[in-house]
Amino acid sequence: MDDITPRLINCFQTVFPDLPGSEIPACDRASVQNWDSVAAITLVNVIEEEFGIEVDFEILPELDSFSRVREYLRKETHP
Amino acid sequence: MTITEALKIQQKAPAGAPVFAIQLVCGFTPLHMQTLLGAHLQQRVGDRRVTVATGLYGDLAGTLEAARTGSFEAIAIAMEWEDIDPRLGYRGAGRWGPGQLPDIQNMAGAMLERIAAAIEQLPGGVPVACCLPTLPLPPLFHTPGWQCAGAELALDAAVLQFASRLLRRPTLTLVNSRRLGEDSPPSARYDVKSDLLTGLPYTVPHADAVASALARLILPPPAKKGLITDLDDTLWHGLAGEIGPENVKWDLDSHKQLHGLYQKTLAALAEEGVLIGIASKNDPAVAQVALQRADILLSPERVFPVEVHWDAKSGSVARILQTWNIGADSVVFVDDSPMELAEVAAAHPGIECLLFPKNDTAAGYALLRRLRDLFGRPRLSDEDALRLESIRQGAAFRDQASGSGAADAFLAQAEAVVAIESDCSAPDARALELVNKTNQFNLNGVRRAEADWKRRLAQPGAVLAVAGYQDKFGPLGKIAVLQGRQEGDTLHIDTWVMSCRAFSRRIEHQCLKTLFEWYDAGRIHFDFAPTPKNGPLQDFFALLLGRRPEGPFALTRAQFEESCPRLYHRVTGGIGMQTNG
Repeated sequence: MDDITPRLINCFQTVFPDLPGSEIPACDRASVQNWDSVAAITLVNVIEEEFGIEVDFEILPELDSFSRVREYLRKETHP
Repeated sequence: MTITEALKIQQKAPAGAPVFAIQLVCGFTPLHMQTLLGAHLQQRVGDRRVTVATGLYGDLAGTLEAARTGSFEAIAIAMEWEDIDPRLGYRGAGRWGPGQLPDIQNMAGAMLERIAAAIEQLPGGVPVACCLPTLPLPPLFHTPGWQCAGAELALDAAVLQFASRLLRRPTLTLVNSRRLGEDSPPSARYDVKSDLLTGLPYTVPHADAVASALARLILPPPAKKGLITDLDDTLWHGLAGEIGPENVKWDLDSHKQLHGLYQKTLAALAEEGVLIGIASKNDPAVAQVALQRADILLSPERVFPVEVHWDAKSGSVARILQTWNIGADSVVFVDDSPMELAEVAAAHPGIECLLFPKNDTAAGYALLRRLRDLFGRPRLSDEDALRLESIRQGAAFRDQASGSGAADAFLAQAEAVVAIESDCSAPDARALELVNKTNQFNLNGVRRAEADWKRRLAQPGAVLAVAGYQDKFGPLGKIAVLQGRQEGDTLHIDTWVMSCRAFSRRIEHQCLKTLFEWYDAGRIHFDFAPTPKNGPLQDFFALLLGRRPEGPFALTRAQFEESCPRLYHRVTGGIGMQTNG
């Protein structure tokens, strides 16, 4: 497992505490009931704090699954 | 606090705990402001679970008007210019320009009037914490940014007038904008991108600063009650025993103004009802000469007790705490010696020990501000002014009582009057204040929110007794509160507190005797719970029961009368009566 995945799982657990850890890597916006627009922004804030980056809010709609967020972070942290 | 930390704090809140419900009133998208406010409050409520409700976007006044019928323990308002007129924000399409300014001012005045009216119509007992606009006004004025525009000043004036009006509401508190400016510099507050994309105009650090300030107003830390100070190189500069009491300094001319400022601070605190005592290793006669100097800024009359000798300061502090009858955790000890501070801290866990930085003016300034924070209270009461005098009287009372060897003989000639108000329909603020700050003589340690307090007083069979006391040594003011309800011949007492200033006068006995008589009760059921601090009440119950109770219990009238000593007070008042002092 890379360095990003466990840290990102922690971020998801912080924002979606009811989501079982085992389900996080496969989750997406459709499968997580509480993943609304407010939670999406909160998730981005938590990711920014964890990874020390600034996420452009305009790409928020594209970050709609764990795997897509992880892919985004890979590009941002290892350009 | 970061958002991650805030979320984790909230998630750790006990799931089944009673809810502490807050209404956050703001016109912008609450987002992490809601999260951060909830977390700051959660840190303060401990075993309750904070919930933060929000209103409609862009409708601060409407949210306030709706809160009138809501059931909240407190309301937090975060106002911004956009709430006063959308043209004062960045998200609307309303025009800017000189032609708009008169209308903006008119609309702002009307909206502030609507918001003030909505706040005035909130339930009276609910605490309201308000933060006035914190963000810079948009660049809509004709002046360059470094020049103040008249219209800008007019808006500021309208908001200040609005704030002054709000402060007439006893339970409303305002965030101090100057202190907020230190915690959150104005240039780092506005997040234009977040504002335009999400509707939250605050940077995360600014949202945290505002949330923290509001939480502190809603649930303020308990104010310290007493300050014990050293003398040499603390209250004044120099060692009085070495250079002579006439040569110690505290003035500007001798560059020792920091000590003068410290004296002025202590004098102001004393005037507000804070107890000031002295613990100094010194020659008592020499110290007395310095304390009596005409130019001293802290009047010796305001200081009691004065412990000046060569023994350990921890012993001095112990005797002062005993005289004041308050716990170490309510007291601050100030000394210029780290060793003395350590000695006192080791002997009195919980006491706040602060170093007087005699050679560091900036640190001295920080100390003065720290003292203001530790002792600050939202408002002063008449009882605050009586506190020192009643403690002096209490010391004289105890001296005379013990000196005679017969407490009864002394109490018999004390000319004591216990005045009991029992009007549930007109509860006074002092009663609830006593309930929420008394520790030692406290039935169960439970603090009451004002809304809960009023609900209790409105229940069928409600019982309330607020006791005041005076004797020939002077008045103590209102010093005891009992609250509960009557069912048949049983009084159920849920709350009972008595100020530590009132001990040793058998007032607690008189309160129970009076309740038994006025309500013709056969027994009193106490919702008692032992706490780490209510030992004096446990001792009192042990005298009545022959044992320390471990939980709720009932006391029959026969039990009480069998163990009640002779009482000498004259009692005034009656059921449903206010004694008016």
